[in-house]
Amino acid sequence: MATPAASPIRRARGEVLHDGFLRHAGFRWLKIATITCVLSIASYMLVDVTPHHNGGSWYGYTMGTIGALLILWLTLLGLRKRAMTRGRWSLKAWTSAHVYLGLSLIVIATLHTGFQLGWNVHTLAYALMMLVILSGLFGITVYASLPTALSNNRAEMTQVQMLDAVRAIDRQLHDAAQPLTHEQAALVRQSLEDDPFGGGLVSRLSGRYPRCATARAQAALRRWTGDTPDTGNDPLERVDALLERKQAMLARLRRHLKLKALLEIWLYIHVPATFALLAALTAHIVSVFFYW
Amino acid sequence: MNDRVRIAIVGSGPAGLSAAARAAALGLSHLLIEKTDHLSDTIFKYQKGKHVMATPSQLVLRSDCDFEAGKRESILDRWNGQADAQAINIAYNAEVKAIVGTGDPIAGSIQKIVERKRDGTSETKEIQRFAPPYRLTLNDGREVIADAVVMAIGTQGNPNLMRVPGADLPHVQYQLDDPAEYNDEHIFVVGTGDAGIENALGLAADEAQGNVVTILNRSTEFASAKAANVKALMTAAEAGRLAIMTESTTAKVEPGFITLDSRDGEVKLKCDRIIARMGSAPPRAFVESCGIEFTSGDRLAFPKLSPVFESTAPGIFVIGALAGYPLIKHCMNQGYDVVEYINGNRDLKPADEPILAAKFAGLPEKKSVAEWLEYLRANVSILEGLSPLQMREFMLDSEVRAYRSGDLIFEKFDPGSSLFGIARGQALVEVASGVEIPIDQGSIFGEVGLISGRRRGATVRAGADSIMVEVSRTAALKLMSSNPPAKRAITRISTERQLLQMFGAGLTPADLADILDTAEIRTVKAGEAILTEGDIGNDIYVIRVGSMIVEKKIGGKNVFLSYLPAGSYVGEMALIAGGPRTATVKATVKSEVIRLNGDAFARLMAAKPALLERARRDMAARQDVNAFVESRKDSFSTVVDMYSETAKFLVDNGIGEATDVLLIDEHLCVGCDNCEKACADSHDGLSRLDREAGRTYAHLHVPTSCRHCEHPHCMADCPPNAIHRGPDGEVFIDDSCIGCGNCQRNCPYGVIRMDSVPPKKPGLLSWMFFGAGPGPGEPSKKWRYKNAESGVEKPKKAIKCDMCSGIEGGPACVRACPTGAAIRVAPEDFLTVARLGGEAR
Amino acid sequence: MSFLVRQISLTADGREIVRATSIAKSQLSLGRAAENDIHLPDLALEPDHARIEQVDERTVRLRATGTLGFELEGRTVLRAEIDPAQGAELRFGGHRITLSRGEDGATILSIRRIDAVSEASEEKEEARVFSLRGLLPGKRLTAWGLAVAILIGFLAVPIWSYASRPANDTRNIYTVAGDRSWSSGPLSQAHHALEGRCETCHQKAFVSVRDSACQTCHKDVHDHAPAARIAMARAEAGLGGKLLAGVAAAFGKPPEGACVDCHREHEGAGPMQPAPQAFCVYCHGTLKDRLKDSKIGNAADFGTSHPQFSALVQTRPGRYPSFLRRSLDGGPTDDSGLKFPHDIHLSATGGVAKMARTMKAQYGFGDALACKDCHKPTADGVRFLPVDMERDCQMCHSLAFETIGGTVHTLRHGQPDQVIADLRAYFRSTGPVEPPALGGVARRRPGDYAQGRIYHAYFGAAATRPSRADDAIRAVFSKGGACYDCHTVTPPGTNGNANWQVLPVHQPMRYMMNGWFDHAAHRTEKCESCHAAPRSHDARQLLLPKIDSCRTCHGGEKSKADVPSGCAMCHSYHIDDGAPWAPATPSLDKDMQDREKLTNSANPALPRMPEPG
Repeated sequence: MATPAASPIRRARGEVLHDGFLRHAGFRWLKIATITCVLSIASYMLVDVTPHHNGGSWYGYTMGTIGALLILWLTLLGLRKRAMTRGRWSLKAWTSAHVYLGLSLIVIATLHTGFQLGWNVHTLAYALMMLVILSGLFGITVYASLPTALSNNRAEMTQVQMLDAVRAIDRQLHDAAQPLTHEQAALVRQSLEDDPFGGGLVSRLSGRYPRCATARAQAALRRWTGDTPDTGNDPLERVDALLERKQAMLARLRRHLKLKALLEIWLYIHVPATFALLAALTAHIVSVFFYW
Repeated sequence: MNDRVRIAIVGSGPAGLSAAARAAALGLSHLLIEKTDHLSDTIFKYQKGKHVMATPSQLVLRSDCDFEAGKRESILDRWNGQADAQAINIAYNAEVKAIVGTGDPIAGSIQKIVERKRDGTSETKEIQRFAPPYRLTLNDGREVIADAVVMAIGTQGNPNLMRVPGADLPHVQYQLDDPAEYNDEHIFVVGTGDAGIENALGLAADEAQGNVVTILNRSTEFASAKAANVKALMTAAEAGRLAIMTESTTAKVEPGFITLDSRDGEVKLKCDRIIARMGSAPPRAFVESCGIEFTSGDRLAFPKLSPVFESTAPGIFVIGALAGYPLIKHCMNQGYDVVEYINGNRDLKPADEPILAAKFAGLPEKKSVAEWLEYLRANVSILEGLSPLQMREFMLDSEVRAYRSGDLIFEKFDPGSSLFGIARGQALVEVASGVEIPIDQGSIFGEVGLISGRRRGATVRAGADSIMVEVSRTAALKLMSSNPPAKRAITRISTERQLLQMFGAGLTPADLADILDTAEIRTVKAGEAILTEGDIGNDIYVIRVGSMIVEKKIGGKNVFLSYLPAGSYVGEMALIAGGPRTATVKATVKSEVIRLNGDAFARLMAAKPALLERARRDMAARQDVNAFVESRKDSFSTVVDMYSETAKFLVDNGIGEATDVLLIDEHLCVGCDNCEKACADSHDGLSRLDREAGRTYAHLHVPTSCRHCEHPHCMADCPPNAIHRGPDGEVFIDDSCIGCGNCQRNCPYGVIRMDSVPPKKPGLLSWMFFGAGPGPGEPSKKWRYKNAESGVEKPKKAIKCDMCSGIEGGPACVRACPTGAAIRVAPEDFLTVARLGGEAR
Repeated sequence: MSFLVRQISLTADGREIVRATSIAKSQLSLGRAAENDIHLPDLALEPDHARIEQVDERTVRLRATGTLGFELEGRTVLRAEIDPAQGAELRFGGHRITLSRGEDGATILSIRRIDAVSEASEEKEEARVFSLRGLLPGKRLTAWGLAVAILIGFLAVPIWSYASRPANDTRNIYTVAGDRSWSSGPLSQAHHALEGRCETCHQKAFVSVRDSACQTCHKDVHDHAPAARIAMARAEAGLGGKLLAGVAAAFGKPPEGACVDCHREHEGAGPMQPAPQAFCVYCHGTLKDRLKDSKIGNAADFGTSHPQFSALVQTRPGRYPSFLRRSLDGGPTDDSGLKFPHDIHLSATGGVAKMARTMKAQYGFGDALACKDCHKPTADGVRFLPVDMERDCQMCHSLAFETIGGTVHTLRHGQPDQVIADLRAYFRSTGPVEPPALGGVARRRPGDYAQGRIYHAYFGAAATRPSRADDAIRAVFSKGGACYDCHTVTPPGTNGNANWQVLPVHQPMRYMMNGWFDHAAHRTEKCESCHAAPRSHDARQLLLPKIDSCRTCHGGEKSKADVPSGCAMCHSYHIDDGAPWAPATPSLDKDMQDREKLTNSANPALPRMPEPG
């Protein structure tokens, strides 16, 4: 090319264009985490703790301390994400580290226990930690797999636009249904009264709405429209067409909701479990030193 | 009847009012002539409750009328009150039709009026000027004789009127103050400019009002309106909220009805109201007819004025917006000053004296402001043409600095669009490391940045102890428009410099003389091609403004080869290798190219092997790219299409003129909106970007956020000149914004919004743990309403992305993206075939 | 009579738009159909829904035409009469109609829509409806709930139960003590009774378990050595060790040598594990470097670095014997004062063997004598009893010298003076019918031998010797005499003895005073495999095996040897004469087979498990 006046810094930016949080900086954190794990396992093998490995040995305490600090640091992501402080930090890098170091915690903490589990607060903390990590794993998978679908489904539509589209159809339905008889109108009202965001958690996640009033209304209306030929000016036909459109719109909306739900549902376990873990961790540590 | 006054003041805006007040205070006989039935029509037309700002803050107000930032209403009320109190003599509903001198003809003072027609032809008529006193003829036939006339009519001009029978009926109106006033009416909006469309949308916005709105369009498309507005109009029409009638014009207006000429003949429709927004005729013609000369034919030009605002017609003074001062404070001060002058007060220093004094304070020796102005004017060639008044104004948005020998003035790749003039000393331009070209006193530098809007192409240091004038972009543009010789000078120098800088290789201005003579500057519309694949021709094109894309037909498909930012050149391949053009080069946005005669260039290359060498290298590079794409097209043809499609998409979305744009890779975006939240939280609670909105192609999403255009549309018309390009190339709005909303209207990408700073949120932790406050990000309208501290009414200002300038760490949106979906790119990084390799993976 | 109908609608920004029409009728129809006087586009209404009739000044009558009524002040009714002066609020579907009376006497019906057209059209907060909020309990709530619950259940309650525990806790271990959730694992069998009584060991909060706590029960444990010496002996730690020690100190751990250092608890039910080798090696591995005066060699691992055994051997037998510890390497001799050639007794051929065969039936001998025929183990089988003349030798080495009518006269063993006395008494009496049998072992011939029989080869001797007591006594004590063969005899006169003296015999039962060897544990082995008795011709030879022979089976704690053996197998930290402490292992019964398995196939599951004695 001729002389595009751009500084080297920009070039550098250009290169890291498409690496997401998983492949951040050439899997830097994956590597670090792996090394950590390998080292911990190796030392576990080498260090001779008698009578056998347990949290109370110096090795156990070391692992425990590392693990605890790690947990605290990992928890800080929630803060980091929201505290828009100045400085050259990148949340992507943090997420990357969060993911991989979080996974390495499986090894570190398990070695800390020395495989001594029981019905006590110590194991409770461990279990909670595993719960957090597993929910996190789910999160990673959906984060890695769903965004494309989300983008495809919304097709440049914003959420508000989706909602407005439904509203617009509703208005037209409402007007189109005016001439209908009462029971027919009642059917249309079913559809209007139906909250597009209704349906429980299950429907949200599955994207299946067996009791969708719009679908039922349409099905019911078909009883009238079914046998009569479509003369262009029959209000029922217009209502039917509108219901058709509404269903299509709802389908998109619901797909959107489903994807969004999947993308955030895990946080409803991840986050509370994290705080439960912190509490358990406190109890664990205090108890250890209380009966020291 | 026939009044005789000492001063006639035309226009009761801030300038006129202030002048009249002064006159009243001095006990001079005066008449304030206002064409409407109220004072200060322009401000009167602001939307209700609009917060009017008082900038520049450092400028002292010198007027008998008070003015401070506040609500439109309060300001108007105060002025009305003071007008009464000070017994200002006002003629309402009086419009001046003509101003003619009643004295003897002034020898040799002849006013040339050039009238430009639609078809481009122009005719010149000449009128003899007569000495004062002047006779002012009003629309109601009254005549006023005045020794001195103060023109303060602003630039608003008069709306173009409908010229159909019944156009004078009361329900035909030329403006719409509050769309909410009208319910259940059949309203026709005539004119499809932005104003018309916005009115129509406003009237139809709320179906509860039950208005039936129809907008009339003479043609089929909405050429004169902003894309965003047109889009909004179309969606509204689709939603059935209003009707659009194309190819139809008004034929007749009757009470309750309107008759249209439409495609299918005449139609008579129910019509309760007609809103005609057919633009307004600038007052220039009238002003010229009064014997007032303008600095140039340019649309932006202002009247020729003396330092005391006296126009070429002796005794007629021009002040306010018409004189080129859009800010209320300026206007009011001028009103005061000019009346003082007329009253014989000769040694009154302009109110902006302290500001200028401050600017000059830093300079080595002590001179008075006037002396400095004169010194600069005399020593910087491009300023020679300026009047002292223009110099003042010019210096207000320029800086002057002293440099010791060797001081750094700016560095290569620094962003910056200002122009430097050397008033004393010398500048050294470092073309290559070690190689420095001196630029001597009187000349200018930095113009490439000004013209291309790109980063600096070379490092410049002071060669000797020097004084440099840094001319801000706006000042420079104003200068060029108001002063043709300056424009020519700058253009020539810039072209020369650009070539020197581009080809380097030991060229001297002398070598280029030949080429420069044949060089011509061409403006290219967006999408227009300067080179077409297969054509014959050997001219070289240098992109001066804007940017181009290079395309090549491969297997019938146009494959995007590369993106050429301003400062690149094309066409050397045909020249060196001969043969037809190997690729098509199109403008992405309205651009300017310098066309160099191929033969001249060939001669030059013959003379300068180094240049030839250089050209060959560039050519080789491009041939590689071609080869690369050729090779890819079989193996990765899909990838190639994909890539060039994507590139086209981005260019369509204004990446072409962007310098730094936010993109979102929707393979990664989980829609957490953390970018928006981050943006809001790092800019007092207002997000400058809308992640969701905007176009997407192949999962590459261009959210609505500022692209920091090379030539920002928002800068075009900013009264307080509050929009600048910052140190990192970001375009930002400083807090002198007066909230006029021009930038919002001018931005084709709709990335500027008007909003007021929301109330303070509780701390993050108290939200995290106790759910106090709305949490991170922009608080909801409801919350803001609930928590707004009562009484304090916060001004709505324009807000837009400033690339987090001054925030260490750079753009918050990118920093805060957890998945790495948000990226900021400069087009030249993004639109290179090199990326193709990456994509192919 | 006329109605004023005010249709009130709201704009998006909340402005009210009132559209008033006055209808000069006494009766109005209301419904969804457009032809009604009051047309409400509301699907909840019937096309013709109701009539509103002005009966007189003070009465407006409403009645629903269809079956669907309307709401009057919240109640659904089909008809109603209202005094416009008082006014009323009616509700038709999504609309509210306020009925009132205007100044001009006309009845005003102000109608406003109060329900949005549809659910979707209701005002919705984007952030909320598009997220899972409302479908799930909020994160913050859950987080707090769980956290607080855990802090209470696992922190507050235990501390409370600790604080409020009665001084003498009589509850059994299975009553749920609040702080059980803190136990990191069950206690060992030994301390099982303390389960759930944390404070017995953890006496003070945040103070680590102290020896004093252990010593409340374990009162009489010997110290390993004077504290000072132990301190000296302790290997000074490496950098890491120092660090750890520092940290431990910082956290208030007692200095090294605390009970818990070796005796770790909460490591699972089952026996408490013996101290691992490492704890000993810490000092003993390089003991000599620090304790120059120590007699103990460095020992780091039985298999690889353990000094040769040294036995406590008798250097000078006698009434006042003297003992010395000698390393087996020097091939030390142990002079018990007894003469006994093992080889002759154990050889499968020759006289002894023949004799043994003759006595098979009576004494259960084999074809030749075996160790067990003379050496009898102690009750616990750990060691062997000293050889006892009467029990282990006499069957062959008879001391009988005459029989009188069935009764046999025997010299008293172990009482030389008595022997002399007996003989004198014998000779003082009338001349013997047969000369007494006073010969030594040498002259007895196989075949004509039996306990209590008189040996007839005596005649010769009798013939050659005058039958005089002193001679007989001398004969007994001198070479060839009965005593002389096994004992060291000193004639009268030497070192001032008036009489014949027999050197007292001292047979030690234990040679290694600091190490513990358990024969029972080695029953599977043959004696010869360790003790080279068959080739020993001299009783002074010390037949203890050297360490190498042990190492054929035993190795260090972590070694691959058949029997990995930690220090604790043979040595005990709290030194006493008893066997080194070893955990009771119910898992092992004392059956032979089991032990075989264990020793032969060094069972990795229980590597350092010493045999129970």
